[in-house]
Amino acid sequence: MTDFSLILANLFSRKLRAILMLVAIFFAFLIFGVLAGVQNGFNNIGGAAGENRLVTINKINFTQPLPISYVERVRATEGVARASYANWFGGYFQEGKNQIVTFAIDPESYLDIYATDYKLTPEERAAFLADRSSVLIGRKLAERWGWKLGDRIPLSSNIFTNKNTGKQTWELTVAGIMQPAQENADTSVAFFHHSNFNESVTFGRDTAGWIIIETADKKLNTDVSKRIDAMFANSAAETATDTEKAFNQAFVGQLGNITLIVTLVVGAAFATILMIVGNTMVMAVRERTKEIGVMKTLGFPSGRIFKMVLGESLLLSLLGGLPALGTAAVLLELMRAAVGIPGLALTLNYAVLGVAIMLALGLLTGIIPAWNALRLNIVTALGRQ
Amino acid sequence: MRILNQIIAVCSINLKSLPERFWLSFSTVMAVAMVVTVLLSFLALAAGFKRTLDGTGSEGIAIMLRDGSQQEVNSVIALDQLRLIGEAPGIVRKDDGNPLVSGELYVIVDGVRRSTGLKANLPLRGIGKDGAALRDGLTITQGRMFEPGSNEIVVGEGLIREFAGFDLGSEVRLGTGTWKVVGVFSMNGAVFESELWGDATVVQSLFRRGSAFQTVRVRLQTPESIDLLRDYVANEPRLKLEVFSEKGYFAGQSSNTVNLIKTAGWPLAIAMALGALAGALNTMYSSVASRSREIATLRCLGFGGFPSFVATLLESLVLAGIGGVIGSLGIFLFFDGFSTSTLGQGFTQIVFTVTLTPALVQQGIILALIVGLIGGFFPALRAARVPIVTAYSQG
Repeated sequence: MTDFSLILANLFSRKLRAILMLVAIFFAFLIFGVLAGVQNGFNNIGGAAGENRLVTINKINFTQPLPISYVERVRATEGVARASYANWFGGYFQEGKNQIVTFAIDPESYLDIYATDYKLTPEERAAFLADRSSVLIGRKLAERWGWKLGDRIPLSSNIFTNKNTGKQTWELTVAGIMQPAQENADTSVAFFHHSNFNESVTFGRDTAGWIIIETADKKLNTDVSKRIDAMFANSAAETATDTEKAFNQAFVGQLGNITLIVTLVVGAAFATILMIVGNTMVMAVRERTKEIGVMKTLGFPSGRIFKMVLGESLLLSLLGGLPALGTAAVLLELMRAAVGIPGLALTLNYAVLGVAIMLALGLLTGIIPAWNALRLNIVTALGRQ
Repeated sequence: MRILNQIIAVCSINLKSLPERFWLSFSTVMAVAMVVTVLLSFLALAAGFKRTLDGTGSEGIAIMLRDGSQQEVNSVIALDQLRLIGEAPGIVRKDDGNPLVSGELYVIVDGVRRSTGLKANLPLRGIGKDGAALRDGLTITQGRMFEPGSNEIVVGEGLIREFAGFDLGSEVRLGTGTWKVVGVFSMNGAVFESELWGDATVVQSLFRRGSAFQTVRVRLQTPESIDLLRDYVANEPRLKLEVFSEKGYFAGQSSNTVNLIKTAGWPLAIAMALGALAGALNTMYSSVASRSREIATLRCLGFGGFPSFVATLLESLVLAGIGGVIGSLGIFLFFDGFSTSTLGQGFTQIVFTVTLTPALVQQGIILALIVGLIGGFFPALRAARVPIVTAYSQG
């Protein structure tokens, strides 16, 4: 009989108890895995952002527009490789609840900057650039609504009114379906021509919601943002320039302190499970006092018994925890398909952290019973009832 | 009668011997307490948020937004539309015959959170001279109301609590202008307490909004006169507006966030409860196992299986109940009345207070008892059925 099979036999000497402990550990790590994935999703909002991309917004707040004339001045700024601009459209399809993230973009410059995120065939790109009443839709939108190339789709806005029709709807032709060029790219977006938007809105003309900048090098980011903000200081619309990632994360920060809640919940779940498992382990070893005494009598060295008891709690922890992480990964996969937050996944660093916690849990819960077993005196062990 | 006496006897033996199994029982109690804490913290967040929005608005006031805009921040109403609304039937008129109406402007400005130092969106509302008269329950708790036409603002109590730099007397830069804080107002915890108020015309000029407004607010003669107003708006082609009662408008805003908090809280609590259930079952099985001789002895003495069953189940329920109470108390002591804020549907922060209501405590305790009931049932069954001979033969 190897040590491992002895450990296994010990662990399952009371099947029900072992299974119940496994269940408790399973749920603890399931919660850990799912929350870690969600956390990762929130951290990665803006994860697709290029490192040398900056966003310039109105200093008052991002909901205040910037004069479109700023774009040329930004382009002429030292250290700026490319610049483009876009407006938030407040788009929805047919009903207010079918919200569609829609931007009115400056076509060529915007697609150039975001070529790292979205893939288009040369034909689709050419078709979009040639037709001012066309729209590009992300793959996810195309799948959700069954839109195909050439479809005419009405996109409505909950902010703007179309001067030509007096309604809040713009009829647009699908010129291309954007494929994600990298894993974190969000393809539930739609882009249409800023010039079309600009000419047909009843208010807010000749403004940009934000200016997006690609710097020549990410090392220049700080200098460029200072330069731009200094250029517009004391003007009618002062600006605030930050990296795209920081800009995106500011949105998430507004939801309140999610990180804290997640940490507290996981912490609470862990403390609980640790207590339950630790307690049960102490009890299980205590029940086997006589057995351990017999083993010692037979000549098993104390160190080996120590290792076996510790091994038992480690095995328990891993047997409960590893399937939980697997289940969490599957659940996150399903959630990602449903919610559409690209970073929603159990990443390697969280999985490694999870395994590390399992080992820590196993050691912590096993150390006291193992120590007790190590020091156990044969005479007391055999004498105990 | 005999069986009842037996039950009482066995139960008291069980409960009195609980201290002997202290650590075992303690882990169950704490496990259940954690489950209840997690559940209640989410539910109390949702309840606090809902209470703030439900406590906002009266049936006697109507709000109008541009048709289809859903949110104040998206809405646009022109000055001549405001004048047309003033002629509508069913709205209260002042002594001079002019309508009691306030055209309001809602712009988003940045604020800095006291706790984290991070930026957040705050609403700056420009209100008309009748704006204050259209807010039920408004009191100025410090300082005074702003002077019309000046760069003065008054600040809600909730906003001051959560965001730095708006204390009475301080100067703040919002947009292109500098504003002086001249007063603090309270409105019984309503959403408006998360806002800054200034004069509408000053906000229009400093934020370059021309003469446009975003919402119009009127006082109704009776809550039913909202139908007169709706008919008027529907028959006037120059008014493409949607009419809400103030109460209805804010109640409609709460559902999404509240649902989000609740849908996050319940699955977490249930997953944890299943983990705790495993712990409770273990405790109770061990408890039965450690007393199997004792139970067998009682059975030899003529006690039935049923009293053993009841006693074990009761022990489990008592442990879970204590856990539930500890969990609720913990939330009550550390979390109740805790002020926080989150992003509302208008893209701005709404300050609210975490509220633990008796109904929530009840839900928490019920969850705890369910864990206790299931956790005790099967071990109790075993206690009732364990054959006397086996019990004695066990080491």
